[in-house]
Amino acid sequence: MKRQLTITTQPIDEALLLRQRSMPAGMGAAVYFLGVVRGTEGNANIRALEYETFQSMAEHQISLLCDELAKRWPIESVRLVHRVGLVQAGEPALWVEVVAPHRGEAFAACQWLIDEMKRVAPIWKKPVPGDQ
Amino acid sequence: MRVVVCFYSYFKDLTGCSRVTETLPDGSTLEDLLDQLVIRFPKLASMRKSTLMAVGVDYQDRSYVLKTDDEVSLFPPVQGG
Repeated sequence: MKRQLTITTQPIDEALLLRQRSMPAGMGAAVYFLGVVRGTEGNANIRALEYETFQSMAEHQISLLCDELAKRWPIESVRLVHRVGLVQAGEPALWVEVVAPHRGEAFAACQWLIDEMKRVAPIWKKPVPGDQ
Repeated sequence: MRVVVCFYSYFKDLTGCSRVTETLPDGSTLEDLLDQLVIRFPKLASMRKSTLMAVGVDYQDRSYVLKTDDEVSLFPPVQGG
């Protein structure tokens, strides 16, 4: 299974990621998820989220998840980009794509990877208050 | 035995630092290290149950027996995405 894991302070360029998509013969499903910073946290408005990571461990843990994902489903490729640092409300913080022969495994693998990443990857976020 | 301890997220606020060196008897476990850290940094006590611990880039149980020069990381529950 091909994998491309990126943790970066740079903005996520969704258009570029879509142009770089590879769909080899036999692949019939590409599922992707875009996680965007909400402008609210509970009842309060926020301006941004400040993400912090223990990057080498986060990369290792996500790589372990990809190993497990490859055992569970016949996946062609996974691409995951997590932005860290200051991310303004309305901007993407997470982009995940799974390419597979069929939609069932693509949806299941994409959801599983995001759920597990949120459970084990050492990444934290702190809200930056906005106008009240 | 000396080990390096790194703190992440608001654990840096609770301890007032991001990195310390601790000296422990040979055969000490992560649980022993946590006992020692809670004495040195009492504000960690309230987070004790939910504290996650790693050695290098792998999570470890609190029964893990430490080795000289291990780099231990302590942090609160993660919340990426």
